[in-house]
Amino acid sequence: MSSNKDISPPELIKDRGSLHPINHMKDSIMSLLVSFGFEVVDGPEIETEEFNFDMLNIKKTHPARQMHDTFYIEKKLNLLRTHTSPVQIRGMLEKKPPLAFISGGKVYRKDDDATHLPMFHQVEGIFVDENVSFAQLKDLIYKIIYSLFGESVELRFRPSYFPFTEPSAEVDILSKEGKWLEILGCGLVNPIVLENCNIDSNKFSGLAFGLGIERIAMLKHGITDIREFYKSNLDFLNQFK
Amino acid sequence: MKIAYSHLVSRIQESPTLEMVSDSLFQLGHEHEVEGNIFNMEFTPNRGDCLSINGLLRDLSVFYTINHDQKFYTEKLNNLQIDFENLSQDICPQISFLKIEIDNIPHTYNGCLNDYFIDLNINKNNFFTDISNYISYETGQPTHCYDANKVNGKLIFQELNTSQEFETLLDKKINLTDKNSVFLLNNEVINLAGVVGGKRTSCSSKTKTVLVECAFFKPEKIIGKSVKYDIQSEASHKFERSVDPTCHESVLRRFINLVSEYSSIKKMSFVSYKFRQNKVTKIPIMTDKINQIIGINISQDSYLSYLSRLGFIINDGHIEVPSYRSDIETQNDLAEEIARVIGYDNIARKEIFIPKGKKSNKHDLENNLRFFLLDQGFYEIINSPFVGSDSSNSISVDNPLDSNKKYLRSNLTNSLLENLLYNERRQKDSIKLFEISDIYTLKNNKINVTRKLGIIASGRAGHNYKDFSKKISKKYLTSAFKETLPNENFEFIVLSRESLNTKVTNEIVCCEVDIANFSSDVLSYKKISKPPESFIEYSPISDLPYSIRDLSFSIKDFTELDKFIEYILEFKHKLLKEVFIFDYFNNEKNAEIKIGFRFIFQSVDSTITERQVNNVISVIIDRTEEIDGISIPGLI
Repeated sequence: MSSNKDISPPELIKDRGSLHPINHMKDSIMSLLVSFGFEVVDGPEIETEEFNFDMLNIKKTHPARQMHDTFYIEKKLNLLRTHTSPVQIRGMLEKKPPLAFISGGKVYRKDDDATHLPMFHQVEGIFVDENVSFAQLKDLIYKIIYSLFGESVELRFRPSYFPFTEPSAEVDILSKEGKWLEILGCGLVNPIVLENCNIDSNKFSGLAFGLGIERIAMLKHGITDIREFYKSNLDFLNQFK
Repeated sequence: MKIAYSHLVSRIQESPTLEMVSDSLFQLGHEHEVEGNIFNMEFTPNRGDCLSINGLLRDLSVFYTINHDQKFYTEKLNNLQIDFENLSQDICPQISFLKIEIDNIPHTYNGCLNDYFIDLNINKNNFFTDISNYISYETGQPTHCYDANKVNGKLIFQELNTSQEFETLLDKKINLTDKNSVFLLNNEVINLAGVVGGKRTSCSSKTKTVLVECAFFKPEKIIGKSVKYDIQSEASHKFERSVDPTCHESVLRRFINLVSEYSSIKKMSFVSYKFRQNKVTKIPIMTDKINQIIGINISQDSYLSYLSRLGFIINDGHIEVPSYRSDIETQNDLAEEIARVIGYDNIARKEIFIPKGKKSNKHDLENNLRFFLLDQGFYEIINSPFVGSDSSNSISVDNPLDSNKKYLRSNLTNSLLENLLYNERRQKDSIKLFEISDIYTLKNNKINVTRKLGIIASGRAGHNYKDFSKKISKKYLTSAFKETLPNENFEFIVLSRESLNTKVTNEIVCCEVDIANFSSDVLSYKKISKPPESFIEYSPISDLPYSIRDLSFSIKDFTELDKFIEYILEFKHKLLKEVFIFDYFNNEKNAEIKIGFRFIFQSVDSTITERQVNNVISVIIDRTEEIDGISIPGLI
């Protein structure tokens, strides 16, 4: 039997905290996109109608601009951005092509249920250069989705509609249960948007995409109720170390 | 919108199966669920032209041969004398009226009208309204039926800034406010244009003379009205997405044909008003541009052939856009048409090269701060910005989702305090939280943005034998933070618990610091924590109460000590939520080591019982009793 004078105390296990799973997912996606060549740009969460809608070819009549979809503030002087696209508009106004930006952060829409919240997170990207094509957009989307979900994942492109892209697509992946799940929206930047940003649309074209972080995090972690992310329950957060 | 497979396939020569039609619709971008033999369609907002059988068949004609065998009344129509004035011609540039008087009112239908009501399980209304509803389903053009005998005066269309009560034909009373496009009869609103007709002039089961109104309304004047007045309206759904301004006569001739199939017509007359010329969109043929946009290489012949099949007219080097496709204006729009027809999934990938962008380090300081806090045991939180009341410089939301949360928060501390109390109510005895967020306030009537770090903590310093007995305090946190980041000023304060509804008495320590106030020293902080390398499968959490057990072991034979500790710390049971060493004492004088373990139990299904806990503890005790020199003092 050894003497207890020689015994070291047990390993002191220090409590370590965890990143919020949404921020961790956002950071992971943004790091991936930076590794593809994208540059990170930031912008305000309080936006003008001009940057959030007008510059993105979202017409005055578009339902998204209605009071039941968008949070307006200070007597409609400004609004809480409904997507991170205005950041890209600001980026395009500042720089000349070729350019490749990503922006990530909080966005706001008037929704509240098990799969939608009034505040959620997006990462969006834009690449503008000469002769950017839909076929190249597909290549980029495949690379993003393969990096996130592995190369065995099956995906499909569906025609869709966004005022700021044309052609537009939504991309689904096939779940283990055999159900198609929407993952992201994308398309070629509408030439009207390029012209709004003083970019010659005869010379340049662009691609854009946007991912909902909560949606990806729910899939990756197997979470079915989006509200779990924002209860701040330590038992929940403790799982993401 | 629900569309029956049988109604589509009866007009397709190749008689494709339901699955084939479903695949074709999907490829064309028309998302849907298949419910038996019904396609429950969800169209994108730019494709108002597809909200009908005819509209979908126009799109499907790129894949199939469509039978154009619908019957129309083809004879000359008498001119309708109607006292009508359009005072808002910009909003309604084109409108037509048809008046029909019939002999007898049919009570049963056959043919397409019968199929429509049976297959889609739709309730019948009255003869003329039933025809109108079917016409909308078949052609996409809503029509409104007035009982002609009730329209006894001058009919006026006008956008009015009005405040009056209006009773809809669905017996709902609404208060019209602000600007609305309406039809007036003797200064009374009888129809909320493009949304719903009024009770006063509606058709009934006795109506034998109908005045059918067929109009084009500017979509922006219709949008939002059905939501504002809480009216379910298929007509407004179509008008909001734009209808074909040139279809009125053919739609009304189809209306006459259907009426004549079920009743004999005594009299009829028609009038059409065109207040503005329809704009015809012409786009130059640029096949190379289309190939460049999509990244393919199709011939001009194939390109134009696809467009022709979709109803585009090729004329003199230009592509003329059909009047029902108000969404097509540019080469990119045409490229999308071709991409849909080819199939997005059939377009081959082309490798993309993105030049490396400039690496920004502006988030490095913030990230280092986050990892410093993780290393101190803090958890990152994200809170909603919406709060009930805040400060005089708070920004208010015009249209909050919840009227009790109509401000944007002007600090992080209040949200963090709520998070702390939420976790205290769940028996957490060591709570350390932080959040980094932008805060928006009003300063001299201008929006001021500040990026802040908020920290809050209370309870035990940690779950290990050194920190367990220490309580988080202002002094404790200040000293712990200064040890690692000596030049940063966190300025912790103690929050009073006086107004808080809690029995817990632990000190609440918090701080809120502008990110801009941190020095570049933070950049040299060496992280200990690492983010998880893979994404963890989440286990549902429980809100049921914990049960805690402490076991103190006396060890006098140290040969098995490491194995013993490992056994306890690695012990797994579905009810055991956490285990840690809360006490360690090496009594060198008595040659004895005392180790205290805390076991925290919780069930996800039901409140945990004493017996369940005892069963698990017995397993642990039985196992440890087998080890020589280890005992539990006081255990009988």
